[in-house]
Amino acid sequence: MEIFVQQLVNSLSMAAIFVLIGIGITLIFGLTGIINFAHGEFLMLGGVFTWLLVSNGVNFFLALIAAIVLVGLVGLLLERAVFRFTLERPMNGFIISLGLSVFIRLWNSYQKSIPSPVEGVWQIGGVRIIAMRAVVVALTAAAVALTFFTISRSRYGLALRASVADLETARLMGIPVRRYVTGVFLYGSALAGLGGALMIALFPITPFVGQDVVVGGFAVALIGGLGNVAGAVVAGTVLGFADGLAAGYGQPEWTEAYSFALMILILLVRPQGLLGGTEGPASV
Amino acid sequence: MTEVAALEIAGLRKTFGGVVALAGVDITVPLDQILGIVGPNGSGKTTLFNVVTGVYRPTAGRVVWQGEDITGRPSYEIARKGLVRTFQQAMSFKGLSVQENVRIAWEHRRAVRKSRSAQWASPQAILGFVGLAGHERDVAGSLPFGNLRRLGLAVALAADPMLLLLDEPGAGLNDRETAELAELIRRLPGMGIGVCLIDHDMTLMHALCSRLVVLDFGSKIAEGPTAEVLNDAKVVEVYLGSEL
Amino acid sequence: MSSNGDPGYGTHPLPGPPPQAGEGNSLRSRQNLPPPSRGRAGVGAADARGSRETVVAAAVLVLVLVGVPWLNPGYRFLSVAISTGTVAITLYGLALLFGQAGIMSVGHAALMGVGAYTAAILSMRLGMGLWSALPFSMFMAALAAALIGLPALRVSGHHFVIITYAFCTLLAIVLTNGGSFTGGATGLDVEPVGTVLGINMDRLRNYYLLVIAALLASMLATYLISASGYGRTLRSIRENEPLARAVGINTGLHKVGAFMMSGAFAGAAGIFQAYYLRHISPTLYGGLPSLYIAMSVMLGGARTLYGPLGGAIIVNFLPEILNIDPVDSRIAYGAGLVAVILLLPRGMVDGLIGLYRWAARQRA
Repeated sequence: MEIFVQQLVNSLSMAAIFVLIGIGITLIFGLTGIINFAHGEFLMLGGVFTWLLVSNGVNFFLALIAAIVLVGLVGLLLERAVFRFTLERPMNGFIISLGLSVFIRLWNSYQKSIPSPVEGVWQIGGVRIIAMRAVVVALTAAAVALTFFTISRSRYGLALRASVADLETARLMGIPVRRYVTGVFLYGSALAGLGGALMIALFPITPFVGQDVVVGGFAVALIGGLGNVAGAVVAGTVLGFADGLAAGYGQPEWTEAYSFALMILILLVRPQGLLGGTEGPASV
Repeated sequence: MTEVAALEIAGLRKTFGGVVALAGVDITVPLDQILGIVGPNGSGKTTLFNVVTGVYRPTAGRVVWQGEDITGRPSYEIARKGLVRTFQQAMSFKGLSVQENVRIAWEHRRAVRKSRSAQWASPQAILGFVGLAGHERDVAGSLPFGNLRRLGLAVALAADPMLLLLDEPGAGLNDRETAELAELIRRLPGMGIGVCLIDHDMTLMHALCSRLVVLDFGSKIAEGPTAEVLNDAKVVEVYLGSEL
Repeated sequence: MSSNGDPGYGTHPLPGPPPQAGEGNSLRSRQNLPPPSRGRAGVGAADARGSRETVVAAAVLVLVLVGVPWLNPGYRFLSVAISTGTVAITLYGLALLFGQAGIMSVGHAALMGVGAYTAAILSMRLGMGLWSALPFSMFMAALAAALIGLPALRVSGHHFVIITYAFCTLLAIVLTNGGSFTGGATGLDVEPVGTVLGINMDRLRNYYLLVIAALLASMLATYLISASGYGRTLRSIRENEPLARAVGINTGLHKVGAFMMSGAFAGAAGIFQAYYLRHISPTLYGGLPSLYIAMSVMLGGARTLYGPLGGAIIVNFLPEILNIDPVDSRIAYGAGLVAVILLLPRGMVDGLIGLYRWAARQRA
């Protein structure tokens, strides 16, 4: 039992990363229907920017903030320069994202890592908690809380939810949907940047890390329900646990297979996701 | 109204979650006269068409077409049996040419039984009938709205219907276009194609339909010869306001 | 505004009308430029010229493709050409699926893998050679497509894309962990081709010609399907699925059928590629190769006759032959793809043809 709890705790940090990516994807995909496979690269950029800054002597937490801002700007730039022309045909947006993800991996393939910014291990009732991982979970929780608060309390959040639910009607009611598209790209990529910064604090990453996580991110978004932030949180946590547990109990080759199989099953049986989301904007 | 070749709707009920769109509707649609269906927005008219043609499965009730129970069958199967509908929003195969639009429906039309003579010999002839001759190569998405409506009718006709369910065919058309459309529709029963028509334009309904059915909140509240129904107090109260 | 809706001449599009300005929301349409003129509304000398052009172009292409070995291009050239040819066959299958039916799949590498592994296993266990295994490869790939498609095509296109990608990755995992049956992570060896129809295929030139024959057959099949009523049916599903159902088309069945058909193409490509490579392993057929396949088709153009071939040449052939550094080629490729999607929605081949026409008009 203790081992099980230990595994759960260990998986929490992975779950956190999934949640961060998943929220971004669920908002972007839910609102625009664009399958942005380059979203994983936002994560990678967050990690690489952090690495660049920390390697040059910048304090980790400052680097983290800088990474969030920088990656958010990249997301904004890509939306303005490229993605906004594909809103009518999201499939083109998908293909473009493939091109972009190939393009963005400009760095060499070597692993990059930084020394752990927070040292220490705590022991609580026989369970070892690595301090840095706790920081990751805490920061993620803060980001999630912020997202929740914005989405459920502010009028922007309300407008966003309305647009995700029914794009046409939202437009007709005067919601400037285009601006929200820009907004979710900015916010989603910023979250991914945060994820990348946190990730590199935990373990080394390569420029190909984006590819590995992006499908997990889509699995999270789809299982939780498109456009449903709570769903992304739940699904990300579940998948993170599944990932960690499978690895912990010694079946690492099959971990990916489980999450994919689960995702396919859910997509077929309940396409709107576990917690219910939009079916995606009606294709034009 | 006793011939087998009619559409019978019995006790048709459709709920979406908690919303009752159709509350048990009984209608018999003849093939030799034009039946109109009217009612305020949200009264279930389009839902009725959707359930009858298999787009939705009914919660309860039966749909019988030419003596055959077609309740719950998929929409493409029903279309192939000669029960064809058009859509409220002008639908077309947007990126394809007018000619291709009609040709596609033509190629999938129900097998023409030997005993039934086809009214039209080719998709071309149908285009001529609806007034789109000369526009064959235009791309459907570029058509002005009036022509788009004609194309919708042409596509439905190319599917070789025995009964045509027209959902607000006049919506968005000006008076002249509506009158021209009415002319086309009026000729159909004489060509062996029954028509059942939803619309809000009372002038159109008066001109075309010999009988009307009035729906409100998913129930039939009146049925009968057009003039009678339009003067029925209940109908006036629910739907028409003061004057025609 | 009118444009030719019938099998177009001259621009060699696959039968079916070109997208209108405004479709694709491309930069061009946003600047309100008139659409490039495509096709003529009437018959006349222009059409006759167009039709002659088509035949001449096709003949030239066949001659060039078939004649290459006699120009002494060298082992490497032929080798890369064979590899490119096999990929192009898959691309034609995907072009039918996406260009005609509007269904995007990023799982085609997995379908190639099914074809390849079927061939390898049949060879290993039953001693079947290429020619006898070919129908099995195509069949198994089509079957795999049916198994995925039957449940998956009922959900929206976006979900389907993700499912195909997930399937690819899943297949790679299954193959890696399949023990001795699938050769595990190291994969399987494939015997040399030997003799096919009495011709010694171990000679590279002959194998090249075999692949070219298969490629030309794929191109012809694609053309014929697109021009047929079946092609029209697929296009109707792409353009407006509810309307297609309303006129009697069993869209669910046709979507699965289209997916199976494109699977058969991929299966054939898989077996040809397997016998060329002489060794196959799971990484060849995972998610990333599938993405490259999708990208290649879009780059070349999914709705033009020579688009998939062009895509294969640009992505597979040119970088190898010109010895471009893989990193540079990837960057050029990614950037190029983005540019093509935004500016040349019909793909590069169509863009090049447009350029040729423009130049021809300047000279006149």
